[in-house]
Amino acid sequence: MKAIVEAERLSRAFGRRTAVDQLTFHVAPGEIFGLLGPNGAGKTTTIRMLATLLPATSGAARVCGFDVASRPAEVRRRIGYVQQAVSPMGFYLLTGREKAEIEASLYHVPRRRVRDRVAEVLDLVGLSDSADRLVQEYSGGMQKRLELACGLLHRPDLLILDEPTLGLDVQSRHHLWDHIRGLGVAVLLATNYLDEADRLCDRLTILDHGSEVVTGTPAALKADLGAASLDEVFLSYTGHALREEVA
Amino acid sequence: MQEILALTRRWTIIVLRERLNLLFSILQPAVWLVFFAGGLSGAVRIDDYIAFALPGVIAFTVVGNGVSAAMPLLFDKETGYLDKLLSMPIRRSSIILSRFLFQLGMNSVQVLVILLVALPLGVRPAAGPLGVLAILVTAGLLTLAVTAAALALACAVPSHGTFFAITGFATLPLLFMSNAFVPLSAMPGWMEPIARANPLTYAIEAMRLLTLDGWGFGVPVALGVLVVASGGLLWLGSWAFARQTAQRVT
Repeated sequence: MKAIVEAERLSRAFGRRTAVDQLTFHVAPGEIFGLLGPNGAGKTTTIRMLATLLPATSGAARVCGFDVASRPAEVRRRIGYVQQAVSPMGFYLLTGREKAEIEASLYHVPRRRVRDRVAEVLDLVGLSDSADRLVQEYSGGMQKRLELACGLLHRPDLLILDEPTLGLDVQSRHHLWDHIRGLGVAVLLATNYLDEADRLCDRLTILDHGSEVVTGTPAALKADLGAASLDEVFLSYTGHALREEVA
Repeated sequence: MQEILALTRRWTIIVLRERLNLLFSILQPAVWLVFFAGGLSGAVRIDDYIAFALPGVIAFTVVGNGVSAAMPLLFDKETGYLDKLLSMPIRRSSIILSRFLFQLGMNSVQVLVILLVALPLGVRPAAGPLGVLAILVTAGLLTLAVTAAALALACAVPSHGTFFAITGFATLPLLFMSNAFVPLSAMPGWMEPIARANPLTYAIEAMRLLTLDGWGFGVPVALGVLVVASGGLLWLGSWAFARQTAQRVT
């Protein structure tokens, strides 16, 4: 089967600093693929390149066979991008349903299908009962679930999740994981949480200083080092030093 | 078109839910008309100062609304939602076109309210019902110019603090250096050329002629200058917005 994401020696420099260096990875249909790394390792930069928000300095990436640089419109139609920092500031006075309806129209969901599609994705993340409440009344977990739902409105081939459970309580995180696992769509997941990667990812790449350190299934990575947890694997590859690289 | 309407819907729902905000922004110009123009009318040598100042109050309102026109872009930029929009399969231009559409609607309602409030004060546009339409068109052109300038500024500033500092400073001089509340002929000599270079002057001139004198040759002349100025500012606005989104792939 054709790969959903093909990143080939993808690189991005900001001035002299190389944020992403010759990164190569593939994501298969239906696969949940993790990007792990300390802060500033290049996860978000990689995601922004794949979401057509940032051009690569060199290398190439294709989503569903379309080059992100030359065919961004095709790529945008096929991805759902769920951002890291969800600020509901511009949406406080909208209900969850209204926000989803507006975004459905932005994703060009045919007008007569908008209502059903919105109901469907809100149901999927368990927000049906709160759909008509204002977003400002939502808890942090509900806001994240709303974002996830909005990323699915146009039935994308690839869901890009940047730290989907950042700042959530344990219950909300487990909830969200259940939803993500049940989707069946290819997912590119950037995360700092190793337990999250362990539970969700079929395969993952550990990044450090913009470069790939190691790639494999969570089980294989642990077995290779005889490690009990992914935390041990992560620290043995990336060290204990604190990171002060700017994002 | 679906995407422009969807974005416009976002602004409309928000503004209708902020009822107090809506109420005060609609009442604000009436306060200027009644207390400012009404209060000054005995102190100036203009026969009907309220009618004279009416276009000034309209211009003042449109300029003031320029700040709120750019606010969503400013905040979407800072919260990162602009990135989310740019990752969607929409035209870049829809993001700003929706804002123009919304501002045109909002400002038209406000202009009509101002004209309604002016009725009991004895102001009836000399150009008749079609004149009211022409005043709306003029205010619309001015809206385009002001919104474009505000959006350009919102793209150029590093954060909303700078934006509010600049607009807070610039709004009043922009108005005082125009014929909004003082006829050009009554200005100090050094001020008149500045006022003549100010696009606001031409919008106010057109609306004032329509209010006081009715249709005349001066109306299309003033409107022509306003169209040119609006065109220039629209170009500037789209250039700034294109630059704002340029480091991204287009």
